[in-house]
Amino acid sequence: MNSIKETIVERALLLSTIVSGAVTLIIFGFMFFMALPLLREGNIFQILTGEWSPGGGSYGILPMIVSTLAISCLSVAISFPVSIGCSGFIGVLGPRRLGRSLRRIVQVMTGIPTVIYGFVGIFLLVPIVRELGGGGSGMSVITAALMLSVLISPTMILFFNDSFERVPAPYLDATDGLGASAVQKLVYVIIPNAKKGIIIGLILAFGRAMGDTLVALMIAGNSAQVPGSIFDSTRTLTAHIALVIAADYESLEFKSIFACGMVLYLFASAIVIGIRYFAFRERGVE
Amino acid sequence: MNTTQTGNIKIRVTNLTFSYKGRRILDGINENFEEFAVTAIIGPSGVGKSTFLMTLNRLWENIPEAQMSGKVEIRFNGGLRDIYERSFSSSRLRKLVGTVFQKPNPLPMSIFRNVAFPLKLSGEKDKGLIAQKVEGALRKAYLWDEVKDRLAQSALALSGGQQQRLCIARSLILEPEVLLLDEPTSSLDEKAAEVIEDLILHLKERITILAVSHYLDQVKRIADRVVQVDLWQVRK
Repeated sequence: MNSIKETIVERALLLSTIVSGAVTLIIFGFMFFMALPLLREGNIFQILTGEWSPGGGSYGILPMIVSTLAISCLSVAISFPVSIGCSGFIGVLGPRRLGRSLRRIVQVMTGIPTVIYGFVGIFLLVPIVRELGGGGSGMSVITAALMLSVLISPTMILFFNDSFERVPAPYLDATDGLGASAVQKLVYVIIPNAKKGIIIGLILAFGRAMGDTLVALMIAGNSAQVPGSIFDSTRTLTAHIALVIAADYESLEFKSIFACGMVLYLFASAIVIGIRYFAFRERGVE
Repeated sequence: MNTTQTGNIKIRVTNLTFSYKGRRILDGINENFEEFAVTAIIGPSGVGKSTFLMTLNRLWENIPEAQMSGKVEIRFNGGLRDIYERSFSSSRLRKLVGTVFQKPNPLPMSIFRNVAFPLKLSGEKDKGLIAQKVEGALRKAYLWDEVKDRLAQSALALSGGQQQRLCIARSLILEPEVLLLDEPTSSLDEKAAEVIEDLILHLKERITILAVSHYLDQVKRIADRVVQVDLWQVRK
């Protein structure tokens, strides 16, 4: 009896694994298929490095690639240290009760729809950046990066916090027994032993920053040009897809968004694989 | 039972009461511990032997819903000092009062870095001095000859007995005046336990030792004095 049940469960789990794996591949195949006319028309090189000027028959997505990378890297660079600090405070340094309530607030933050962040950005952040950035609309790379860093921090904080809590208790006892201060315990013992969780949290946050559409659409300014500084208006791949999707289905303009999708997809995979490779290479974990 | 240092009190506990989640575990304990002696703390499980040790190094302060009242004084630099005084930090206390736990708890790093870790915590940068102190501590813990050729290897690869001696070496490197041992041999085999007992007898020349133990024959071999925790409550 038991073994039959076990076999059924095992098969069901295997099937769902295959399906979810296959769906990811199918999506990629679909995007490739849809982008095919454009790829046939111009060459791939031109699409990846050209400028966006549909009137002039140029469907290059380089500006969007650059701005996606700029915004997501910048937002992770801003929110990573903040998140490490927050989870350190919540889990180790701060008073226990305060830590618990802060954690609850962060949990609530993860559930806020991104459109709210965009909205808040328009009214609070854009005017400030407009002042500091010396003119312009205030909608720029840095505006979107700052707002996105607020958006992705909760994910990182909770993830880091969980991995801090999984550091084995004997390590903590040993460290306490030797007279380490709370900060020393965090820096020398907890963070090094939570490295794996920290890296995975980083990957998730990066993916979320890269994949987010609304914040960039609302406050990055949307001009399809390679940003020259962090105060320049710009357009991400995701915002580009959202803007162009209203175009005629048969047009090459419309087909170009599938190229954007493919690039996004490849970036996301490259980041995950790359970070895992570099982070776990030397210790032979996984 | 008596030692030559009779009368030289190292630790004085006055009216110590400890409760956890509202349940009273230690109740009004008064006790003195002599310098350079091994005191064995015995009693059935769950009477608060380990808890008692935690009131001497303040490790209980990490436990939520734990409460303590009373006074614990330890003699440092000639005078008895209240270890719960505001100006006396727990980090400073724990550098003077070393703790060895029931299960060996080396950190996931090399043997050398484990023993040198307390020096890192106190900000020591002189590499020559660190190497010298690590060797000294490992020698004192009877471990040097076994590990001198593989100091860079992970401490987690050592046997249980070696790990426990490594933990003792790690405590000794700060030259503590008191060493608290919480059933230090209970997870080890007989032979490894013997080495540690021998080590304890050797260490008491310089250090005041309090050891929780389950084994009466072990207590007989190492202890200058025996304190039975379950009788504390009655005696009050």
